Amino acid sequence: MSSVDSWEADFHRSKTNANAASGPSLPRRAPSALMEEQEDQPMPDFLPEEPLPDETPLEQLTRHWMNERHAPDILPAQDVLLSSLLDHIRRQSDTIQLLRGDPSTSEEEHIRIMLAQTEVERVKFIVRSYVRTRLFKIETYARYIIANEEVQTRITTAERDYASRHAHLIDRHFYSSVLQSLPESQAGLDDIPNFIMPPMVTEPDTTRAVFAHARKGTIARTPEGKTVDLAKGSLTLLSFSAVSDLVSSGDVQLV
Amino acid sequence: MSETRQYGELGTQLVMESRRSTQTDTLLKYNDSLVRLLIREQRDLEKAAVAHVVASADADIPPPALMIIQTAIARNKRCLLAYHNHRISFLCSLYWSLGASLPPLLSAESTSIRAKLSPHEVDYLRSYHASVMTFRSEFSQELDITASIVQPPKDLHVLVHVVRDCGVIQTESGSIDFRMGHRFMVRRSDIEHLIVQGYLEEV
Repeated sequence: MSSVDSWEADFHRSKTNANAASGPSLPRRAPSALMEEQEDQPMPDFLPEEPLPDETPLEQLTRHWMNERHAPDILPAQDVLLSSLLDHIRRQSDTIQLLRGDPSTSEEEHIRIMLAQTEVERVKFIVRSYVRTRLFKIETYARYIIANEEVQTRITTAERDYASRHAHLIDRHFYSSVLQSLPESQAGLDDIPNFIMPPMVTEPDTTRAVFAHARKGTIARTPEGKTVDLAKGSLTLLSFSAVSDLVSSGDVQLV
Repeated sequence: MSETRQYGELGTQLVMESRRSTQTDTLLKYNDSLVRLLIREQRDLEKAAVAHVVASADADIPPPALMIIQTAIARNKRCLLAYHNHRISFLCSLYWSLGASLPPLLSAESTSIRAKLSPHEVDYLRSYHASVMTFRSEFSQELDITASIVQPPKDLHVLVHVVRDCGVIQTESGSIDFRMGHRFMVRRSDIEHLIVQGYLEEV
C-alpha cells in the first residue's frame, strides 16, 4: 500500500506545483508512472529546476512543447521523439487492457492500473497540445511556409502537406469571395509588397520577447551584434531571434 | 460614380464590422450588400484610373489624381480581403472549440451560425474540415488530436449530467443510452466530445 500512498502524495505535490505555475512539474511525475506501471520500484526523486543530463522522452517532449508554445516561429519538428512516445502510449494502453481483463489482477494493482491510465491520458494531452500548437502556426503562416524552403525543412511531411492545402484553401476562398468579382487588373493577390500596402504574407515576428531559461552556460547573440552571457539556470528576457539557435540545440529552454 | 462618398469610406465600414465582431466575440452576419457595394466602387475606380491613364498618355509624369485612385483601389481591396480573412479565422476557432466537427456549425436548426455565412464560407468550412481530417488520420492509431486541449485531464472518470438526448454511445464499460436528465459516471475520453458539443455537462 505504501507505494500507492507515495503515488498519491506525488500526485498531489505535482498538482500544487502546477497551480503555483511551475511549468515542468507535470512531466516529472509522468514518466515514472508510464515506465513502472507494474514494477514496484521506488520513485526516483528528481530535483526541480535541475536540468537532467538524461531526460526521459516525455520530459523532452514537455520541453519541446513549452518551447513551441512560447516561440513565435515554428521550431524543428520532433518526429522521432514523437513517434517513439506514441508507440509507447500504444504499448502501455495494450498492457493496461490486458491487465484489466485478467481476473487474477489484485485490488492494489487495479489502483495502479488506474494511475497508469490517467498518466497515459495526461501524456496524450501534451502530445495533442503540441501538435495543435504547431498546426495553428502552420495555418497562420501557411503562405510564408510554402514560399520558404528553409522553414519546410523544420516541419514534417504531413505538416507540409497541410500547409500547402491550407494556403490553397485560403487562396480559393479569397478568389471566389472577392477577387473574381474585381476588374482583371486587381484580381491577383498582392504577393509582392507594393509601395502603399504592407505585405500580404504573414511572417512570424521573430523579434518578440521570450523568457529564456539556460539549461547550460552559453552565450546569446542579439541581432544588434551584442552578446549576452547566459549562466546555467538563469532566466533572461531576450528577443526570440537572439536565442532561436540555442533553443533548437537544446541549450536554452523557453519558459 | 456618386461623389457623395469619400474614397475608402465603405472599406472602413467593412473593417469596422470585423473589429466589432472581435470586440463582442460574436460572428456577425455576412454583409453581402456592403461587399457588393465595395466591389462596384472598385470597378468605378478602375474605370476612372483607366480614363486618367488615357488622358495623360503623353505627359511625362502621371497625374496626382491617378496616384490617389490607385491608393484607394489598393486599400479597398485589402479591406475586402481582411474582412473575409477575419471571418474565416473566426470560423476556424469556432470549429476547433466545438471539437473539430462540422454538424454543430452547419446544421440548419440547432444554431444560427449557418444563417450568418456566405455560401463560399460554407464551402470553405467543408474543405477545411476535410483537410483537418486528412491530417488527423496520421495520428488516429494512438490519439485523437482534435480532442480538447483546454484542461489537462486530472481524473479518468467524470460524472456527467445529460442535457440533451444523444442516443446510445459505446464506452469502455459497455454501451450507455444517454437520456436527458440522467447522470452517469463515465470514462472521460469516451465522452469528451459530447461535453464539448454540449450534450453532456460535467457535474
